[in-house]
Amino acid sequence: MTCLRWRPVPLATALAVAAWIPLAAGGATLAITNARAFTGDSAQAVDRATIVVEDGRIASVTAAGAVPAGAQVVDAQGAIVTAGLMGAGTQLGLVELYSLKETTDPAVSKGPLGAAFDVEYAMNANSTLIPQARADGVTRALSYPTGSASAPFSGLAAVLRLDDSPTLIERPRAGLFIVTGGIAAMQGAGSRSAQWQLIRNAFDEAKQYRPTGKVGGPRDQQLNRLDIEALRAVLAQRLPLGIFAYRESDIRQAVQLGQDYGLRVIIYGGTEAWRVADLLAAQGAGVVLDPVANLPATFDDLGVRADNAALLQRAGVTLAFFAPGIQLNHNVGTAIREAAGVAVANGLPWNEALRALTANPAKLWGMDDHYGRLARGQDADLVIWSGDPLEPASVPLAVYVRGEAMPLDTRQKALRERYDPRHAQDPWPPAYR
Amino acid sequence: MIAGPAAFSVGAGHGNVRGMSLPRRLRSAILLAVACSAATVATVATVAIAAAPATPATKPATPREPLPFALDPYPGTYRPMPRVDTMVTGATVLDGAGRRLDHASVLMRDGKIVAIGPELAAPAGVTVVDARGRWVTPGIVDIHTHLGDFPFPFASTDFNHSDVGEVTDPNTAGVWAEHSITVQDPAFMRAIAAGVTTVQVLPGSANLFGGRGVVLHNVPATTVQAKKFAGAPPSLKMACGENPKYDYGDLGRFPSSRMGNVYGYRVAFLEAKQYLADWEAYERGDKAEPPKRDLKLDTLAGVLHGDVKVHVHCYRADEMAVLLDVAREFGFRITAFHHAVEAYKIAGLLRQSGTCSAVWSDWWGYKQEAFDAIRENAAYLDAAGACVMMHSDSAIIGQRLVLEAGKAMAAGNRMGLGIAKEHAIAWVTRVPARTLGLGDRIGTLEPGKNADLVVWSGDPFSVYTLADEVFVDGALVFDRRDPRRQPASDLEAGLPSRGAAR
Repeated sequence: MTCLRWRPVPLATALAVAAWIPLAAGGATLAITNARAFTGDSAQAVDRATIVVEDGRIASVTAAGAVPAGAQVVDAQGAIVTAGLMGAGTQLGLVELYSLKETTDPAVSKGPLGAAFDVEYAMNANSTLIPQARADGVTRALSYPTGSASAPFSGLAAVLRLDDSPTLIERPRAGLFIVTGGIAAMQGAGSRSAQWQLIRNAFDEAKQYRPTGKVGGPRDQQLNRLDIEALRAVLAQRLPLGIFAYRESDIRQAVQLGQDYGLRVIIYGGTEAWRVADLLAAQGAGVVLDPVANLPATFDDLGVRADNAALLQRAGVTLAFFAPGIQLNHNVGTAIREAAGVAVANGLPWNEALRALTANPAKLWGMDDHYGRLARGQDADLVIWSGDPLEPASVPLAVYVRGEAMPLDTRQKALRERYDPRHAQDPWPPAYR
Repeated sequence: MIAGPAAFSVGAGHGNVRGMSLPRRLRSAILLAVACSAATVATVATVAIAAAPATPATKPATPREPLPFALDPYPGTYRPMPRVDTMVTGATVLDGAGRRLDHASVLMRDGKIVAIGPELAAPAGVTVVDARGRWVTPGIVDIHTHLGDFPFPFASTDFNHSDVGEVTDPNTAGVWAEHSITVQDPAFMRAIAAGVTTVQVLPGSANLFGGRGVVLHNVPATTVQAKKFAGAPPSLKMACGENPKYDYGDLGRFPSSRMGNVYGYRVAFLEAKQYLADWEAYERGDKAEPPKRDLKLDTLAGVLHGDVKVHVHCYRADEMAVLLDVAREFGFRITAFHHAVEAYKIAGLLRQSGTCSAVWSDWWGYKQEAFDAIRENAAYLDAAGACVMMHSDSAIIGQRLVLEAGKAMAAGNRMGLGIAKEHAIAWVTRVPARTLGLGDRIGTLEPGKNADLVVWSGDPFSVYTLADEVFVDGALVFDRRDPRRQPASDLEAGLPSRGAAR
């Protein structure tokens, strides 16, 4: 194996380090030494850990472990190393500037696409949000549609891998999304009861559907062929069903739907999930929530509590975090870390908060066989942090996806260098920098 | 404004609240604008005002009726809550004035700071708060909130009738945010629990002239008058850029362009100039009759007269520079640009003009004029000697304003700017206090200042730290360890959030 010889890099003092770590060639062995590794499995760090990466996968995480001969060595100098983070709910790859519709693709409002609306074809790997997310520690994301022409269905989500490739998509059609709740109902049929009836009818029709082989002609069903085929795939492959639900009554309906149709339900939002914690745990329904939510955003959220995450975790519910609002995508990396820190401030154990950003979303979205923990055989998505990753002021010093060091350049970095105060006396405009 | 974005799970995505497409104008209010546009308010109160208010509250009497612009016809009724003289001891103190004192004490008597230092002895009869291992800062001041005028929970009626802005005309300089405030907004309570002791509540940013803001003590009260900060100078909210031109342009109305925005400012100030001249002529006795009162022109003349502080929602550097020119043309000062995501591009110009910037740590990209935001914005302005502070515009991040300062500080320090915590804390205490015109009363822990003070569970720049005790004018208004001192709004009374899981 031809390996790059590398000297230890003083990470703590060289923030630009990733820029001068050569991208490991495929097949190279990488050893990150002197790491404070949080594997995701244990709440205890592996101190002075050597993390050995072979062929893009983690070979070992060992306290004071030996460096394989010829490995490229990066000295983490005691810095915390975790798995790359996963944004459990984003529209990465689908949005640029929300106010410009021509740059946003997460929703469709007319035409035949309901449950069948599939975001995979719009993915933009050159979006300025992708390198920003990565530079903030995110290496995986679930990118979900936000609305279709057939509410309450939003369409099919994709799992992304934020490496430097032109595609982004690790798995298309990863799951189906549905939006329920008072305000969505108001816009739709007028009652949330109708939402649940429409959802149930859709799955019933999908179950009973038999292709006729003919085109056209009346049929006694609500759904078109495209939507039915999407729903049949969800039923047949047991794809996760992400259901936005906030009020206890809707969360209970979502759980019941999962039971009745054999679906794997993941609650998104989940403001009042703490009231249903035991049921969610018993049914294996995960919850993706926003830990900073401590105000009743709507009348669906009157039961909001700052310790929602802590209560759910204590009950045994699999938790992941997202950051709905302004930061959902543009600052996903800092926002979910800050949210996780806020969850810790409100009673969630630190390691569980880290898992909610890594191993747990991996489990919910069926990626845990290859991503989410620092363990042998897992993809080497690694972040070396400047400090505690749950402190939003911390930043990654280096980010690896499947063993490859990622560039940490962003559009914001170019701007901040252009306007560095050290240029203040430069008589030439910034356009020349 | 943006109570929305952070608050609403945009579960169904941006441009939607929970799956519902928002009307354009509200969308810009709560999702894109982050800044203050709003839904319409149907009824315009007809206010009958006598030429001379019965009790001129803030200006000394003159031989004739006082100029009406700066008078507050609705004076506040705030009284400090019950208090005992208190000394906080053994803390790490960031005093807001630039000092860090370790193992220090702060003595509060009769609602004022009377002493601060490492070797204070507690006078007899004073309640002692042992703050060893904990940190103390001045009360947090948030200069840009919509607490109460965009209250929680968001309701379907707010789609077209939100109280955050009067979006029926690009110039609503005559409306006052204090008349929109729902005092039972639970967001006030969360802010208290987060150490926020003074807030400015502003109207939304749909309009060129959105109306007057109001400065409140962040204490629970059943009327807005009982929250008003007596003597705080009045303020005007203006807006440039996308919000006004889209909100009205989309309706086929004026303005629909940035040049239209600027024309709108100039036309209004020309009129106000004449109005002011007419009043001054009357004051001098050159005219027998006072001009006819006009509430819009009252506010704008107050700006020209120097009585009303000007806060401008403005993202782009080139637009800020134009606004500075408009201010120069009409002889007034812009107090602060809010949001100001491109302020770093004109740091020198802002230093020279003396205009402050109120910024976020890292928000970007939700709209076109926010595309060039960088996390070093505050630090670069600070390094250039320009006035800068953090603001929230969000009831959610407003609960972690010190963390906002911390993120901005860290970004600057990664660029080698060497900003210390005792300096950065001023971005959420001294600087916004001074910018509100209250620098002699709040913002630092110095003898003679109001005893607005927070005892934090640890380093306030950490995400894990919570406010333990919060004092306003020496009264303990929040105590994390005493359930009887944790205020909740009427909205929250009897709700499931206070109940048990099933």
